[in-house]
Parts: sequence; C-alpha cells; structure tokens
Amino acid sequence: MDGTEETGQQEPAPPASEQLRVAERSAPLGVIVAIAVVASILGVILGVLINWFPVAASSQAKQVDTFYDVLIGASVPVFVAVTAVVLYCCYQFRLRPGEEDMDGPPIHGNTRLEVIWTTIPALMMLALCSYAYVELHNAEKAPAAAQRELHVRVVGQQFTWTFYYPPAQGRGKEIASPQLYLPKGRSVKFKVQTKDVLHDFWVPAFRWKIDAVPGVNTGYRVTPTRLGSYPVVCAELCGLGHAVMRQTAHVVPEAEFEDWLAKKGGPGGATGGGGKAAAPDGKALFAANGCGGCHTFAAAGSSGTTGPDLDTGLKGQTAAQIKADIVNPNAEITKGYGANIMPPNFGQSLSPAEIDALVKYIQQNVKG
Amino acid sequence: MTARLKQPGLLRGGWAILAGIAFAIVLDVAIRAAYSEKDLFVVQAWTPIALLASPLAFLVGIGAFDYWFYWAAGRPTRAEDHSSHGAHSWRDYFRVNTDHKVIGVQYVVTSFFFMFVGGLLAMLVRAELAAPGAQFVSGNTYNGLFSVHASLMIFLFVIPVFAGLANFVLPLMIGAPDMAFPRLNALSFWMLPVAGAMMILSFLAPGGSFATGWTAYAPLSTDTPIGQLFFTIGVQFAGASSIATALNFLVTIITMRAPGMSFWRMPLLVWANFSTSLLVVIATPFIAASQFFVLLDRSLGFRFFDAGAGGDPLMYQHVFWFYSHPAVYIMMLPGFGIISEIISVKARKPIFGYRMMAFSLLAIVLLGFTVWAHHMFVSGMQPWIRIPMMITTAIIAVPTGIKIFSWLATLWKGVLHLDTPMLWALGFLTMFTLGGISGVMLAMIPFDIHVSDTYFIVAHIHYVLFGGSMFTIFAGVYYWFPKMTGRMFDERLGKLHFWSTFISFNATFAPMHLIGIQGMPRRVFDYSEQYASWNLFISISSFFLGLSSLVFLYNMVSSWRSGPRAPSNPWKALTLEWQVSSPPPIFNFDHIPTVVGGPYEYGVPGAVHGIFKPAEEEATVAGGKGTDDASKKAEA
Amino acid sequence: MSSIAGTTGAVPHADDVHDHHGPPPANRSSRVDPQTLGMYLFIISEIMVFGAFFTAYFFIRVVGGVEWPAAGTALPKIVAGVNTAILVSSSFTLHWAETCIKSDNRFGFKAGMLTTFLLGCTFLFIQINEYFNIGFAPHDHAQGSIFYGLTGLHGAHVFIGLTLLAMVTTRAFKGHFSSTAHRGVEVPGIYWHFVDVMWIVVYLTIYIL
Ligand code: HEA
Ligand code: HEA
Ligand code: CUA
Ligand SMILES: [Cu+2]
Repeated sequence: MDGTEETGQQEPAPPASEQLRVAERSAPLGVIVAIAVVASILGVILGVLINWFPVAASSQAKQVDTFYDVLIGASVPVFVAVTAVVLYCCYQFRLRPGEEDMDGPPIHGNTRLEVIWTTIPALMMLALCSYAYVELHNAEKAPAAAQRELHVRVVGQQFTWTFYYPPAQGRGKEIASPQLYLPKGRSVKFKVQTKDVLHDFWVPAFRWKIDAVPGVNTGYRVTPTRLGSYPVVCAELCGLGHAVMRQTAHVVPEAEFEDWLAKKGGPGGATGGGGKAAAPDGKALFAANGCGGCHTFAAAGSSGTTGPDLDTGLKGQTAAQIKADIVNPNAEITKGYGANIMPPNFGQSLSPAEIDALVKYIQQNVKG
Repeated sequence: MTARLKQPGLLRGGWAILAGIAFAIVLDVAIRAAYSEKDLFVVQAWTPIALLASPLAFLVGIGAFDYWFYWAAGRPTRAEDHSSHGAHSWRDYFRVNTDHKVIGVQYVVTSFFFMFVGGLLAMLVRAELAAPGAQFVSGNTYNGLFSVHASLMIFLFVIPVFAGLANFVLPLMIGAPDMAFPRLNALSFWMLPVAGAMMILSFLAPGGSFATGWTAYAPLSTDTPIGQLFFTIGVQFAGASSIATALNFLVTIITMRAPGMSFWRMPLLVWANFSTSLLVVIATPFIAASQFFVLLDRSLGFRFFDAGAGGDPLMYQHVFWFYSHPAVYIMMLPGFGIISEIISVKARKPIFGYRMMAFSLLAIVLLGFTVWAHHMFVSGMQPWIRIPMMITTAIIAVPTGIKIFSWLATLWKGVLHLDTPMLWALGFLTMFTLGGISGVMLAMIPFDIHVSDTYFIVAHIHYVLFGGSMFTIFAGVYYWFPKMTGRMFDERLGKLHFWSTFISFNATFAPMHLIGIQGMPRRVFDYSEQYASWNLFISISSFFLGLSSLVFLYNMVSSWRSGPRAPSNPWKALTLEWQVSSPPPIFNFDHIPTVVGGPYEYGVPGAVHGIFKPAEEEATVAGGKGTDDASKKAEA
Repeated sequence: MSSIAGTTGAVPHADDVHDHHGPPPANRSSRVDPQTLGMYLFIISEIMVFGAFFTAYFFIRVVGGVEWPAAGTALPKIVAGVNTAILVSSSFTLHWAETCIKSDNRFGFKAGMLTTFLLGCTFLFIQINEYFNIGFAPHDHAQGSIFYGLTGLHGAHVFIGLTLLAMVTTRAFKGHFSSTAHRGVEVPGIYWHFVDVMWIVVYLTIYIL
C-alpha cells in the first residue's frame, strides 16, 4: 500500500448498474432436475460398486458395510444436487456481452423454500441417526450364547501388542501370545489395556477399534466369520514406532484354535505357530514379534531405525548377552537411543524355548 | 548507537530476546544453586522459562507495551497524535503500528508466510509417503513434520489470516475509523510471529520437534522430548493473540457501528466475524488450559494425566476438543462471511434469506459447543456420551445446509460474473459440501469407528480446511486485493491458479477417502504395500498442488508491485469499504457515513446502503444507485 | 472528546484534546463504553479458563472418583475461610474507594485503594504460607495437582489484580482521577471483583464440598 494522503476525499461511487436483466432466460427446471436425478443415480451406483472396504471378516463388518452403502445412497444425491445447481447457474446465468451493467432480480427470500430446505435435511439426519443407533446397538449387544464368548485381554505398549487368553479350565496363569488367534464363528470380547501411552486396537477386517487408555479398561466385541490372516493395526499415534506397531490376527477353525491354545498353555508346549508342534522357529518369531519394525537386521530383511542396528550392534556378543538384551532391554542402552522404548516384557510373553530360538537365530545371522 | 538500541523496534526486540534467554538461565541456575543441586545447567529446566520469558521480552522490546508502561507508572501519557498510523514505506510494516489497515496487511502476509512453510512441510510429508518403507526420514522426524505442518496451518495460517482480512475490512464495513483498541490490536499481531517462530524452531530442539500431532494427546505429550514444549507454549501465544483480536472485534462491532447500521443492516462478513469472535472468546481458553496442564505435568511434575496417581488422560481430550471442535468453525465461519459478500456482489443479487443467514451462523455457534466428543467415539470414554454427540453433530448439517442452499438461491437468476473471486466462491460451494458430507458420515458412530484415525479423516480435514477455508481465503484475498493494495491482480493468472489448484486438490485428497476406508491409518511414515500406487499418485498430485500455489504467489507479488491502478469500486459493490478510495484514506473516512439501507440491495432501483454526510449537510450518495445530481455534488 | 479517547486506547486519557487532523470521531452505537465491555468479555474468557480447570477437577474427582482430599491429608478449611473473608472484604473497600472518587473525596479514595491493595496482599501471603504447611505437593497425586492447579491459577489472578490495583493506587497518590474521569478505576475494579467472586467458587468446591 503506497501512502495515500489522509485527506483522500471519498471518490464518488461509479454509476452503478441501473437496469435489471430484461431478457430473463426461462429456466427449463425440468431439465436440471432430470440431469440431477440421473447423475445421482449414476453416482450412487458408482459409490456402491467401488470396492471400498477390505474383506469383511466379522459379522460386525457386514453391518458396517451395509450401513456405508446407505450413507452413500443418502449423501451422493446431496452433493450431486449442489454441484448440478452450481454448474447450471454458471451456464444459464453467466454474464453475457452487453450485460455488464445489469443486475439480477431483487429476490430477498422465500419462506416456503426455506422451510423445505430446513426440514428435509433435518428429517434425513433424524433417519440416519436412528438407523445408526440401531446398528450400533446390534453390533455391540451381547451374543445369544454369552457364556461361550471368548475373552481376550489385549495389552498395548510402545510398540507392540500382547494378547492374553484365559487359562484352560479357568485355572493357572493367563496365556500370553504375541499373535492373535481367534476361533471362527464365536463371539470374542476384547478387554483393551495399555502399559504406557494411548494406542488403538484396530483390525480393519473386523471394522471395529478402540483406544487403549492408561488406567482404564476399554473394549469391544466381534464375531469373526471368515478364516484367514488379517493385519492388526495400532491406530492412535503412540510415538516414533507407531507406524510399525503391526501384528496379525488369525481366524482359525474352532478345533484348531482349541488345539493352539492348549499347546500354548500346556507345559513347555508353546510354539506360537499355527498349532503345529514344531520346534520354535527363530526367524518366524523375529517377524511375529515385530522386532524388524524397530531394528535393522539384514537376515530378516528389516530396516527399522527406531532401535539399534542389530547387524553392527550385536557383533561378537554371546548368547547370554543377547538374551539379556531381549529380556531386560533397559539394563544397557545403546548410545543415541532412549530408554523405555523397547517392550520390557518379552521375557514373559515368550516362552523360554522361544527366547532361546530367537537368540540363536539372531546370533547365527549377525553379519560378518 | 545506544539510542537506536533503546528505541522501540526490531533491534530492541532482538536483544530483548537474548536478554530473556539469559534471564531464564540465570534464574534457573540461581534456584538450583539455592537448593544446592548438583547439576546447575539443565536444558530441560530452563527452556520452558526461556520460552515464556523471551517472547515477552521481545514484545516489550519492539514497543508493544510502551504506552501501557507509561500509563501504569502514572507518567503523563503521550497523547495519541496518530503519527504512527498508516504505512508510508515498507518499513512501517515492520514496527508496532496501530492502524487497522496496516495490521490487516501484516496479518495476511505473515500468515501466508507460515502457510508456505507449512505447505513445504506437507511436501516433505508427501515425499516420504511416495513409497512404502522409510524414504528419507525416521519415524520421529516424520511425526514432527506433520505435527508442525498442521499446527502452522491451523494456528498460524487459517485462524490469523481470517483475523487479518477482517481487520482490514471490518472497521471500514461498519463505518468505524479504526478498531476499538488499536494498541491491543498491534499486540495481538506481534504475538503471531513469536508463536510461529517457536513452532518452526522446534526442529532445532534436542530430540527433534514436537511429534504428537496438532492434537498433542496426553500422556504421549507429557513424556516426549523437549520439542513438545515449543508447541505447548507456542499455542499459548497464538491463543492469546486470537482471544485479544476476538475481543477487539466484538467491542468494535457492538460499540462503533455507523449511525443507522443496525445489526440487521450489517454485511454478513461482520455477522460472521461476530459469531466467530464469540466462539473464540468462549472456547480458546480451553486449549490454553489444556496446554497449561501439559506444561505443569512436564515441567513441575503435576499428575493431571498420570493414571497411576489418580489422573485422567481422557480429561485432556475433553478439554482439548471443547476448544478444537469450535475451532473448526472458527476456521470456517469467517469464510462463510467472505462467500456471502462475493456471491451477492458477483451474482448482482441480494443475499437470499439474509436473516436466516445470520441466524444460522448463531445456530452453528451454539451447536458447536455441544458436539466435541464426536472426535472421541473411539477414545474409550463412557459409551453413552456417543449418542447425544452423534445427534447434535448431525443437526449441524441443518444450519450449514441453510447457508449452502441460500447461496445457491442467490446465484439463481443472477448475472454471474465468473471472475477469479467468484470461481473460488463456487469452488468452495461444491468442495465444502463434499467435505461437510464426509463430516456427516463421520458423525455416524458405526462408520466412524472403522475410519477414525485413518486417511478418511485426513481427506475430510483437507476437504473442509482446504476446499472450505482455504478456498474462501483465496476468494477473499482476490476480492479485496484491489482495496488493500490499490492495484488490480492479473485475472488470467488468477484463473490459472484456480483451475490448477482445483484439479490437483481433488487428485490429491479424493483418493484418501478410499485408502482410508481400505485400512490405511493416519500419522504413519510407513504403510503396507497394498496402498503404494494410490500414495504415489497422491504424492505426485500434491506436488502439482504445491506448484499451483506458486502461481498465486507470483501473481500477488508482481501485481502488488506493478499491477494497474485499481479504481475505488471495481466490483460495483454497495458495502462501505468500496465507497472509499483504494487503498482507503489513512483515517478511513473524513466523516462517518450514515447507513440508510441493507448491504446487498442489488437490483433494487435506487437502493442505497450508506451515505456520506459532510458537515455542510450536502448529502453525498454512496453505495451506487445515486442520482446523477448527487454524484455531481460529490465531485464538487 | 471522550468518545475519541474511548476509541483510540485501551484506557482513557484526559489529555487527548487535539485540534489537528485525526480520525473522525467514531459513532457510539451502544450505551456501554468500550473499556467496560472489553473487560466483561475478557472476564468471560477468564471464567472459561477456570471452567477448564474445574473440568479437570470434575473428571478427576467426580468421574474418576478419587478420595477427596487425598488419604492422609487435610485441607485447612478454617484458615482458608478467614482468608476468604479477607478477600471478600477487599471488594467492599474497593467499592468504597470507587464511591469516594465519584464524589471527589480524594482521601477516602486513596485510603480505600490502599486498604484494598493491602488486603489483597494479605490474602496472597496467607495462601502462599498455606502451600508451605499443607503437607502435600502437586506431584504427590492428582488431588494435589488439582488443588495446586486451581488455587495457583487463582493466585496468579490475584497477582494480576494486585498489579492493576498497584497501578491505580500509584496514580491515585499522584493525583489522577476525579468525579468525572474514573473509568481507569472502574475497569480494573471489575476485574478485582471477578477475582473475589471466583475465589468463593474455588473455596466452595475445593475446601468445602
Ligand atoms: C474447517 C474445518 C472443519 C469443518 C467446517 C468441519 C465440519 C464438520 N465435521 Fe469435521 N473435522 C475437521 C475440520 C472440520 N470439520 C478436522 C480438522 C478434523 C480432524 C481433527 C483431527 O483429529 O486431527 C475433523 C474431524 C471430524 C470428526 C471426527 C472424526 C474422527 O476423528 O473420528 C467428525 C465426526 O463427527 C467430524 C464431523 C464434522 C461435521 C458433521 C461437520 C459439519 O459441520 C459439516 C456440515 C456441512 C455439510 C453437511 C455440507 C453442507 C450441507 C448441505 C448441503 C445440507 C444437506 C446435507 C445433508 C443432508 C447431509 N469432523
Ligand atoms: C488449513 C489446513 C491445512 C492445509 C492448507 C493443508 C495442506 C496440505 N496438507 Fe495437510 N493437514 C492438516 C491441515 C492442512 N493441510 C491437518 C490439520 C492435518 C492433521 C495433522 C495431524 O494428524 O495432527 C494434516 C495432515 C496432513 C497429512 C497426513 C499426515 C499423516 O497423517 O501422516 C498429509 C499427507 O498427505 C497432508 C498433506 C497436505 C498437502 C499435500 C497439503 C497441500 O495443500 C499444501 C500445498 C501448499 C504448498 C505446497 C505451498 C508451498 C509451496 C511451495 C513452498 C513451493 C514448493 C513446491 C514444491 C516443492 C512442489 N496433510
Ligand atoms: Cu501404538 Cu500407535
Ligand atoms: Cu469436530
């Protein structure tokens, strides 16, 4: 702004437009309504056809997917209508040569129209909210066979999940597992907890999630309906390793699940691998426990940088040293890395046999 | 030399910052010595003090408080001689200036500076996300990138740029010679660069910048490295600035309207800023408090968020969202005001349903306070809270819909001038509707539970904040550019800017809806292989989006320097700011105008909004529609 | 020219008569004057800051259901009650000072301001003394954080209020203000009354309930 003189006398207003646009174009309202209807229908069809969701692996997932189709059906026409009116106005009412000084008709309002466009969205919202309420209620209500419901305690920590199953016959210690195994067709109730900051327990294939909050038990229930392995994702920012806080949920047939649980719980029989009674596999354990998320380790093809590089850091270490590093990670902190980042409970969540397998795998594969 | 060092100005501000830091260190070392601690020099301990002391010292240094010090000490205060009004050279923009027009320009330029920094960080975010796996930053740096990106965009761009535009035009629109509290106005502005510099400088802190998102959820924010403090304290300055400005707007609007300017004759931009300011005054203290809690937990060992000691981490989210949901309307309502001005002028028609437009603003303000927990559907709070929050959230679509439909009705049968400001306004109508609709979907609990914390949210954020707020900001900047600078912008480049942005914006953010629903969480530097091709596409589009903003930058800079001179009323608008010269005279008006009609009476024969009544009782017709007779008299 | 004074600064100054070219006098479209309105709006903001701290109190004490006060601690209700009386009485002395200046009673004005200021200082002193003797620290438990948070926030406001009172008192002794120009007393006065009322709320929720 260059300095204007403070006396700047108000300039007279330029002669403003004085005519109304005379040749008022007759607006073929039918055409625009027709276009909007056709576009809406096409839009809704497209919206429903697009493959939005990952596979649905729980009964709740099917509900959510249907709910979404209804949402698409309600919202696409709104967007299309608004866009259609804008485009139509641009075409029909644009300024043409010679109309530079013209004004539109001075329409100040129309009560009937205003009532209509207040009521319709209000009713739509009412309907959607009611529907959402019913769906939510259905998805969260206890299953008919409540006593058969499986209870799993899910504990988050920077940066891994541990899953605890009730002990067989309800006695003894809870069974801890770094992997989530669920029987198909049986309702599961998760009790979600955290040891440090907020995390969020999400299995996209189940469509449900909840934060893990310090000091509080949160949770939800789902009924897995499809066999397969699905990612478990941490969906709440929990620090530098948030992006790699990933595990796997396996939905297996009921019998296989019982098998796996029995082995996991049985004395010395823990394997962590799909219920097959093989010796623990260090490489698989390395992957399943998310070690590679934080550590670079050439043999496992991992390149995490949250924790120290194992190839260079562990060179020449004895098995006992490596074991101590895993079981008690805060005892000795590599320079440049923080304490309390690596989960301190692998000593509990893995069986001694698994730890030994892991240590052996790491020691044998350290580069050079 | 010493005289120059003692004079209020940037130089004094500069050494005051150093003095502030030195003060903090000395104070901390002294306290530690008094308690005979072993470590005297502890960065963790003196940094918070320095972060509070040096900005205050800076503000004193540049002279923002000089007047009040005189007053407080009971010394004779220098009478306001208006010598510090106006800007006569570029230097006048770099000092404490009490002229609302200068402050308006300072605000707009500063916040666009932060927009470009924030945008550059977004480019780095997109570069990292172009492929799965770590590209060139670590997890911690990545978290810092999007945290600073969002914080700058929200606290230092969208909120202040609206305050800046309104600062410039609002007093003119209501026929006031300045804001109610010009010195407070200057102080509000100067707190911004402080807050912004703090957030950017956080990258230099040991352990990296703050990395907990713009939401800074506890307890993560209470046990991350020291960079977090730069957010915690920076937000206090940005918040104080916006509270002070809002207070100023409210007092100005209530007590300084021109004769005849009843509330029902105010332009809708004034209404919008009135509503926004109510939101700011009532809600912003909550984010200040939430960050006080974090500061106390971090620095003095308080236990607000320590569940083990009886604290409650969810309390943080309630307090934070009680501000930050209203904040999203703080970032949208002024834009609604801008759109009302532009659509009415460019369609040459009165705003359809003027009163409902004003009432719906107030309805949004009220409802805005009742929906905060829709950000917490998956937070693990008491489940029953979700239902009432879903209903209130959905209801907000009704007043917003009234606005959208009224704008459409205003277009209907108008004479549409499809120039740059209008294109942005129309782009806003469609893009904001899309973003609003995805908001309504998010309000539906069963769907939100699946997509909360995914890229679907990121898509919603950018459709409402870029397609909504940012489009209105561009519209407003183009619309008032002639008034603010006295120059016309290049229309062809303006259109190029619109179309390139519109297309690359959609290409960038639309696919995020899809990958979000498919399961890609937000705030991750690494993602699974299945999202790779969409992310690459998004990244490439976002680079085009970045380039398109360079067109805008070039247009603004070159037009300001050498664009053709702007007439006083290039858009033939009725509102008062267009009835004075471009740029407006230093004191806005020689005589306060008298308002005799509504602000949007286009098409009404002989309609007048305001008249200038010089002392000689010679009624000069302003605001168009004058008879030839009257305009001749005005020339005389 | 009071309307100009009202629009160009946060605080009025009588010496603002100038005959050179300046901005046109702004129209006054409301009966409330800008300073008073500004102060009321600021107080709304302040109430919301306290509101946020009370939200924390609510979540930790009511929702979280912790023991109040924390096990093994006690809050000195009596001392704080006396302290409340001291602070409340300072509102009355302030009111007296305001009444005096309106009738140009300079002695009463100065005495009133000084008493108010000293009562405020006494309150703050007793409060700080309480901190040293209360027997728990903010980092002991969430109850301690809330206690120190709320009383500390209030104490900070007392401090700001005292600073304002100190300014007014200084100016009172320098002979400023009169029956026609006393807005500079009234506006800080509103703030001080607010600080008092807020304390009653804090006292009731923290100590009594
Ligand atoms: C300018 C900013 C802005 C605006 C205006 C809005 C507007 C709205 N927002 Fe949005 N929102 C954000 C910015 C904004 N939001 C941000 C930044 C976040 C993320 C924060 C974070 O976590 O980082 C967020 C997150 C967010 C969530 C939380 C998601 C989650 O984290 O899980 C929800 C949930 O309900 C929500 C809903 C809404 C709704 C219902 C509106 C409504 O106000 C929209 C109303 C508008 C319309 C509906 C369109 C026009 C209306 C019509 C054409 C009428 C007819 C329409 C119908 C009948 C549908 N938003
Ligand atoms: C007004 C608000 C605003 C605006 C304008 C933007 C603009 C952009 N945002 Fe932003 N964003 C947010 C608000 C905003 N954002 C918020 C609130 C979040 C949530 C953060 C959180 O989770 O806490 C977020 C998060 C967010 C993410 C998610 C990060 C994550 O969750 O991991 C991404 C990812 O793509 C992103 C991208 C972009 C891009 C590409 C732009 C572009 O539009 C930017 C375009 C502009 C420029 C680029 C200008 C500068 C140009 C130059 C300087 C020239 C140089 C050009 C080149 C190098 C090509 N944003
Ligand atoms: Cu755990 Cu994110
Ligand atoms: Cu919200």
